[in-house]
Amino acid sequence: MAKILVVDDSSTVRDEVAGFLRKNGLDVDTAVDGKDGLAKMKASPGIKLVVSDVNMPNMDGLTMAEKIRGELANGAVNIIMLTTESSPAMKERGKAAGVKGWIVKPFKGDAVLETFRKLAN
Amino acid sequence: MISSQAKDSIERIFYKAAQARLPMAPGDVCDIVPIKPGSVAGKGAIEARAKDGGATQAGRPQAPTGQVVVLTISGILFRLMLLLHFNEDDSTRDYFVKDDAQSTFGEIVAEISNLCCGAMNQELLRYFPDLGMSTPYMLSAQCVPHLENLKPSYLSSYAIQLGDSVYVAATLCVCAAAPIDFVADVSAVEESSGELELF
Repeated sequence: MAKILVVDDSSTVRDEVAGFLRKNGLDVDTAVDGKDGLAKMKASPGIKLVVSDVNMPNMDGLTMAEKIRGELANGAVNIIMLTTESSPAMKERGKAAGVKGWIVKPFKGDAVLETFRKLAN
Repeated sequence: MISSQAKDSIERIFYKAAQARLPMAPGDVCDIVPIKPGSVAGKGAIEARAKDGGATQAGRPQAPTGQVVVLTISGILFRLMLLLHFNEDDSTRDYFVKDDAQSTFGEIVAEISNLCCGAMNQELLRYFPDLGMSTPYMLSAQCVPHLENLKPSYLSSYAIQLGDSVYVAATLCVCAAAPIDFVADVSAVEESSGELELF
């Protein structure tokens, strides 16, 4: 089973999302911010899906996405943003950074589970 | 500097966001009552309204204690601060924390506040596309009565009852840099949160 990386500075959201995915049989790792997420991506190249917040300390989610595509030259991993941000400008920046999809919080696991399974395989 | 219909719109957007994001379970009561701006009254304001039938704006100023969760929505025209005051009593803790042993009370209410402000931001972006929102941060609740020192164009506070016995206070503080006038039609907005939008 391919691994999913959940990146969020809120432990409440991390636990909620990771717990839901694990409960549904998915292999999940977590990171506390973009910097931590980038380090986890370097250490675990087998990660197929990243679910990340946008606004985080140390490194935001979009910068992390840009670095995954640029510095790590990883064009294969699917990156989904899970955020309270919903502005078209922010989404455009996400597209430019190589983000695959966008979810406006709150997280509704049942609505995205099957798509996450596909993106993680 | 903020028209009355814009103030009404901001309040409607806040009501909708609070009612959608603050209750922990679908169907929980979310009763919102205006109180004296800058106060952190909770239960007293709800009870006062029950007595006077809503004829007056109830508010029972109390010495603010504990911390407030603060979020900011900023753009070229204005800066809006949302301050949410959660009492860390047993009923409030039980209501929000439940069986979550991994997160602290502060982390949980910060995330709930983030969702509430995020819902406001989502609505406001329809009228002000340049807005950006902060992450939640904690300040001493003693700051709340001093918001007037910012000379806000709009300042309003609310007592919120969640479920049977949980009381939260909220304050909206808007500092405008230019005249603001808009009418929000919150009833017409489709609920799109939680859905995956693939690019």
